[in-house]
Amino acid sequence: MRTFALLLGPPLLAALLATMVRPYRRIVGGVNALLSLGSLGASLALWSELLAGRVVTSGPGEFLRADALSTLLAMCVSVVGALAAWLGLSRDDSYNGAQVRRFRIFVNLFTFTMLFAVTSNNVGFMWIAIEATTITSALLIPLQVTKASVEASWKYILIGSIGIALAFGGTVLGYFDFVNMAGRHETALNWTVLVASAAHLHPQVIQLAFVFILVGYGTKAGLAPMHTWLPDAHAEAPAPLSAMMSGVLLAVALYAVVRWQAVVNAAVGRGFTDGLYIALGVLSIVIASFSLVVQSNYKRMLAYSSIEHTGLICVGLALGPLGIFAAMLHMLNHTLAKSTMFFLAGRVLHRYGTAEIGHVSGLLKAMPWTGGLFATGLLAVIGLPPFGLFLSEFALIRAGFAAGRPWLMGLVLALMTVAFVSMIGHLNRMLYGAPAAGVSVGEGSHWPLVPLAACMVTLLVFGVTLPTPLETLLRQIVEIVGS
Amino acid sequence: MDAAFSQLCVLGSSLVLIFGLILLWRRGVTAYISAFMWQSIVLAAVTVVVAHFGKVPELYWVAVCLLLLKGIVIPRLLRRMERRFSPERELEPYVNTATSLVVSGLLVLFGYAVTRPLVALSRLPTRVGMPLAMGLVLVSLFVVISRKKALTQVVGFLMLENGLALLAVLGTYGIPLIVELGVFLDALMGFLVMQIFIYQIHETFESIDVEQLNRLRH
Repeated sequence: MRTFALLLGPPLLAALLATMVRPYRRIVGGVNALLSLGSLGASLALWSELLAGRVVTSGPGEFLRADALSTLLAMCVSVVGALAAWLGLSRDDSYNGAQVRRFRIFVNLFTFTMLFAVTSNNVGFMWIAIEATTITSALLIPLQVTKASVEASWKYILIGSIGIALAFGGTVLGYFDFVNMAGRHETALNWTVLVASAAHLHPQVIQLAFVFILVGYGTKAGLAPMHTWLPDAHAEAPAPLSAMMSGVLLAVALYAVVRWQAVVNAAVGRGFTDGLYIALGVLSIVIASFSLVVQSNYKRMLAYSSIEHTGLICVGLALGPLGIFAAMLHMLNHTLAKSTMFFLAGRVLHRYGTAEIGHVSGLLKAMPWTGGLFATGLLAVIGLPPFGLFLSEFALIRAGFAAGRPWLMGLVLALMTVAFVSMIGHLNRMLYGAPAAGVSVGEGSHWPLVPLAACMVTLLVFGVTLPTPLETLLRQIVEIVGS
Repeated sequence: MDAAFSQLCVLGSSLVLIFGLILLWRRGVTAYISAFMWQSIVLAAVTVVVAHFGKVPELYWVAVCLLLLKGIVIPRLLRRMERRFSPERELEPYVNTATSLVVSGLLVLFGYAVTRPLVALSRLPTRVGMPLAMGLVLVSLFVVISRKKALTQVVGFLMLENGLALLAVLGTYGIPLIVELGVFLDALMGFLVMQIFIYQIHETFESIDVEQLNRLRH
């Protein structure tokens, strides 16, 4: 109970504080940053409980429950939430007091809804929380009202809401299946109950439910062809929000799918979900990698790269136990890498005043540290060694060959090469040359780079070795998803 | 008894679907709002019927929430928006009326095909209405995709939610009440945010035609 209070309480408190206290903005920001560490600590505590072999639950009927899958996601969310709280909106950007306040309120509610989504044992409440993530994050996209941000927010709320409504349809169908078997129960929507009774579920109905679930939550995860909102929203949102959306919101949406995957696999075996995952995953990778070629905006480039990685994770989920292991590791790596990149992109955007790749040159001269980290991060994102994403992608491909899908893996590798080459090209254009006239030279404030560099170092560690506690956690997840 | 219950459900579900179809051939947003309001009222009535015959007292609360939220509050907010943007009509949707009607007919048929295992599995007397609910879900989805005015898209989305609510009531006699309340809260919040955005679209673009939302490509 106490761990959950420490996990879910701080973002709520911070949102409340930002709502109630209008003056003393810097102090409120400081308290907010400190509170974010509470959630981070709680998620680490959940992890250590798991390593000791205990699944923490709380509330009537195991209302909140943190198994390995929940814990991995809770850690991802709280890390990126803490980054967003510490780095916040860039102070010298032209945000006024009201905008900063609105940002603090909703970014904390956003974090809360994501943390609640991944720790709720009830799939109904999980749905409610994920729907609420759309609402809380959509309000922050047009923080500065421009034509582009208004357009992006409209696409996001409309497509996101429809997707999530379809996921509700899937949840209802799953409940329908259960009720027909066992009658109406208050606990029927509990994931633990659903999984335990999955073997008795009606195969066709649960399959139909999963189609709705995958299309629904897949819309929020940015899977093609429902991805159209994603590049717009990620490019127009303020940097910390882009980082949270790309880094963890996509992962949270995938989390919901994986929860249901466990139920469906237990009911009808793996073959059904595998086919769907591969279809949507490959389509996402195709669309993302070719969109990367023609990209002229670096925030959109990062967004399309997120679609590519979501597609990869999806393909991994279809490749058996090894694939699930690799997919989950990849999710963690992607969270670290992509959120760092969006924060850095925010710094670049602030200095150059444009998100066009063609207008950014001489990044290494103008901002040596930011530029250096940006380059390193991008190399990590495209999967070069010695970073974590290389290792997880390698594991994923190997799982594919082990699962007897060499052609699929060949296709995925080819597409990854397309993405690789085009992103290297874009990076080159940004890094070198002379900074445009009017762009000041020099790093500005250094300290925001410290946490971002720490993320990079972590990625480096994950690229060299897989720490045993993490490996244990991932193995437990593989067991949960079942196969 | 069961026969009457079943008949009432089919009648109610058909009406709910027919109100959804109005979006396909009328042009004025006023008509859409009325259609949505009546659809929600009929949906609430169906919920009361299920609560009474199925002996699920919880559902009375759901019906009350439906009536208040979707029968009164949201239509009123929609009307207020519509008055603000009075000259805006759905003049040239992406798909013309005749094609829309044909497509919707096919979608309803598809709804029947998709729900066949559900109807076969269920033992509830309400099961016969489920294909109609699925039909409404699919038709509303089509409306959102094929219309250009932001306000029409919102009405389409609200009808999609109604379709899902109908599916839940007919298939399972409603999901657990506490979850249902959370869903209502989300629906209200989501609608309010959409409303804010429509006003923003109107202010920045001086129209609520989403065809103008085409700056962000690739």
